[in-house]
Amino acid sequence: MQAESVGRWLLRPDAVSTVLEDGAVILDLRTKFFFSVNISGWAIVQMFEAGATRSEVLAASANWGAGNDDHPAINAFIDQLLAEQLLEPASGTAAARSDVAVTAWTPPLLSKHKEPLQRIMVSAFDPGLPLAE
Amino acid sequence: MSASAAPSSQNRQSVYRCGPVRLVIDFDESEFADCLNPLLSQYDAPWDTAANTIHVLVQHSDCPADFSEVSGSYLTLQRLRVDLIDQRLVAIGPLGSRMDFDLNLGRARILVPTCSDRAGQIEEVEQQFVLLLARAWAQSGWTPLHAGSLVPPGQHRCILLCAPSGSGKTTLTSALLRRGWKTLGDDKTLLRMQNGTTCARALAHRFHLHPEAARWFPEARNLSDWPRYSRWTDKRVVQIEAIWPGRLLVESIPGGLVQVERSSEEFPLTVVPLNTTETFNVLLRQIVVPGEASHARPLVNCAAQTASRLRGARVRVGHNAFLRPQFAEELEKALLSLLA
Repeated sequence: MQAESVGRWLLRPDAVSTVLEDGAVILDLRTKFFFSVNISGWAIVQMFEAGATRSEVLAASANWGAGNDDHPAINAFIDQLLAEQLLEPASGTAAARSDVAVTAWTPPLLSKHKEPLQRIMVSAFDPGLPLAE
Repeated sequence: MSASAAPSSQNRQSVYRCGPVRLVIDFDESEFADCLNPLLSQYDAPWDTAANTIHVLVQHSDCPADFSEVSGSYLTLQRLRVDLIDQRLVAIGPLGSRMDFDLNLGRARILVPTCSDRAGQIEEVEQQFVLLLARAWAQSGWTPLHAGSLVPPGQHRCILLCAPSGSGKTTLTSALLRRGWKTLGDDKTLLRMQNGTTCARALAHRFHLHPEAARWFPEARNLSDWPRYSRWTDKRVVQIEAIWPGRLLVESIPGGLVQVERSSEEFPLTVVPLNTTETFNVLLRQIVVPGEASHARPLVNCAAQTASRLRGARVRVGHNAFLRPQFAEELEKALLSLLA
């Protein structure tokens, strides 16, 4: 992934994120898997919603309280987003978001939920497969 | 059936009030109007706010639609594949029915070919209407939720009951209705965020009860006399007011969530708390999330905002639990603790 370190990345438009508890969840509409991120991870994801490079994320993280020893965790977090194909190359060179804030920095975490949402549904109202009676 | 849900037929035109959506349907075959009436008249919960009107034309076609024309990128249902093409939902079933629903104009056309499997074809067209309604409700700002609900006596907050069909939502609901609890319905609810709070609204006040439930609830005898829900199940469509009068509500504020599970174990009741992420997970699995991000986002946001305000639990109901005299009391205590 090091070759991608200078590239600008964007959260895929079919990855839907929403705030939840102490962080957020990201639902990948293509695979139907969803992911939980903590507060620091959510801040990074918000940067990628607008488009950001790895170095911009590292610089923003430093402003949020990350030290140099947090770089491996931040890089691992970005690598995980890339491995799950939640990011895609961004066209253009728009400035990264500067309005994202983190009140208490902790290393970013992304956890993938084991079970994806249903791919084939009973009806447009009922997502589950009925149990045998 | 409420007055607003009553169909009025005139020159093969039928009008249905389905929650916040009003359907005006023109049929070129009166048989279809009759066949679809049980589906469309089930949304009988009263609804007094202004309705979003959708016009639908149901027409016979000479040849079946090509099922391979759509990929199912928007939704893949057991009986339909759906794509979103230029703000039109295009849904085609394996028996060749096709719906084009123009989301901007609020107009849909359903083409139905000649087919030897008439029962299957009716079910396919029913699914076209469920799709149309689910999208129309979402366009009106409501999130369709496949869940039942229970409201304790004297309270206004409800507990959402989440589980796949056949897991016992209706039976569990019935067990508490007979103890004075109230409900919005057994499996169809609409959610909406209002002033920072989630509002839950009833859609259908009919239950789908298995005749077996009469074993546990003597007042629900003769369940077999009620009309069958579908050819795939023995469940009956039951007017709940006829068995447990005064138990129906139209609106409530969700305060708890229960994931209902059936267990083959004899131990009647197991309750395990859920954290917010688990509660969200359960809630989201009861919502049909389409593949289009702009349509999915409001539904996912509603689930997240609702889940963050709920206290959740997984409730496992043991084999023959409803036959045990103490079961309903224990269940009642467990559910009340979610609203404490």
